[in-house]
Amino acid sequence: MMDWSCFIYFAITAVLLWGVGAWAAWRDKAALAFSTTIVGLLVFFSFILSMWISLERPPLRTMGETRLWYSFFLPLAGIIVYSRWRYKWILSFSTLLALVFICVNLFKPEIHDKTLMPALQSPWFAPHVIVYMFAYAVLGASAIMAIYLIIRGKDVKSEMNITDNLVYVGLAFMTIGMLFGALWAKEAWGHYWSWDPKETWAAITWLSYLVYVHYRQLPRHRERLALWILIVSFVLLQMCWWGINYLPSAQGSSVHTYNMSET
Amino acid sequence: MKEGFLLGGGLVITGLILELSVGPVMWEAFAWPANGIVLAGFLTIIAIMYLLRKKIYAFQFIGSYHAAIPTMVYAVILTIIMGLTRQNINGTWFNNMLTFWPFVLVYVFIAVILGVIILRRLMHLNNWKRDLPFLLNHLGLFLALTTATLGNADMQRVKMITSIGEPEWRALTTGGAIKEMPLAIELKQFIMETYDDGSPKRFASEIQILTKTGKNIETVVDVNKPYEVDGWKIYQYGYDTEMGPMSQTSILELVSDPWLPLVYTGIYMMLAGAVCMFVLGGKKKEIIT
Repeated sequence: MMDWSCFIYFAITAVLLWGVGAWAAWRDKAALAFSTTIVGLLVFFSFILSMWISLERPPLRTMGETRLWYSFFLPLAGIIVYSRWRYKWILSFSTLLALVFICVNLFKPEIHDKTLMPALQSPWFAPHVIVYMFAYAVLGASAIMAIYLIIRGKDVKSEMNITDNLVYVGLAFMTIGMLFGALWAKEAWGHYWSWDPKETWAAITWLSYLVYVHYRQLPRHRERLALWILIVSFVLLQMCWWGINYLPSAQGSSVHTYNMSET
Repeated sequence: MKEGFLLGGGLVITGLILELSVGPVMWEAFAWPANGIVLAGFLTIIAIMYLLRKKIYAFQFIGSYHAAIPTMVYAVILTIIMGLTRQNINGTWFNNMLTFWPFVLVYVFIAVILGVIILRRLMHLNNWKRDLPFLLNHLGLFLALTTATLGNADMQRVKMITSIGEPEWRALTTGGAIKEMPLAIELKQFIMETYDDGSPKRFASEIQILTKTGKNIETVVDVNKPYEVDGWKIYQYGYDTEMGPMSQTSILELVSDPWLPLVYTGIYMMLAGAVCMFVLGGKKKEIIT
């Protein structure tokens, strides 16, 4: 039986492999970067898969479990971006962020029972959350890039196509995650969009990234303002992801808190 | 952009005046055929705006980034206010954003902008690699937004309390009124399974459905697995919590939404558009730079 006590061994192995990959990317050893990162991903995914089997449900329900996926998707997004645009820094970034989430899970684990309430037993569950986690990972990368470019100052025009590319990929996945959620909501709750607090914040985040995408199309625009839009969008995304759990206006009114309140 | 922000501000002020003078938006008034007429009128206005865009500056402006971006910013701000305030069907102003005029007007204006730019693109197709993703994303959103909003008044959601051995024809509307349904449901058995720790694992109802169209169906309705018959989706909603697994009644929710195929067409277009954005989005930029 696989449980959280085994996590540390898988995590250390994966992080070491990703670390080697990140180093290899800086040294332009692309083959090594690819192979170690991918092996690291396989090691990490084997833990997720074992958890899935031993829990008898996808490990997607709690914040701790979604962090697991987030730690997996960051290096995956990193290697996809690397394969497409060969940014040397991307693997270091993705490894570091994955490490942060792994550490959170190691030091503040939210250990969970086996149960999955009926409302979450749906073929839509896994794709909806997984696609969103991937979007968050890529948009996280774009936010870090934006902060880096703002701090560095100078002319950012040439590097802006990096943030653009990341946002296009992230926004595409976010759109898919949101619409999967709508299709699932129709099957589970009878309506595809109910302006539940989570949905409201998802709409805000989505619109905010649309502002960035359209602002970047303006022939004459200010790059730094565009970067700030990206940072604000990512702050709004945090609100959607976990912030609403602490929001008074969302207490007791969100179906995304998963308290079965059938009467 | 200044013009766009002024225009959006004008919409918000107009909305406030409307809110103060005529009260919140009465969405119930849009039931068929009113919503069909409104949609036809809306599409006509968009077509006129498009045709007169070269004669009237304002109509040309509507189809520009300088109008679209500020409007989206207003939508973000108003939706953030919605996300920060507790929403309530009986609330007013910020507490019932969906009936708050400034919110509604800003989103309607987004639909107008979408309509104008979609028409313009449709009339000037030249590069499918650009036009197809553009149309899937924008037309998909336009379709989903307008039909979901206007169709909402035609959506019926009722609760039916079914009991073992008693076919039920009546259902309760959200307003508490009793409604005669075109179908009767008899509960055969309520199923409740729990995990070892007592937390719920499965809620389901074995039911027999008799419709006015002459159908006689035996089926099981699970949470997350509604059953559809004659335009009604039947959902497992609740049960007698005091009786638990021994419950002799099961509460089902019946939902009818005649506009759903149009909304879903929009959603599927946006899904295809998102795939296009992922596949073509990055590459397009590479060519330009």
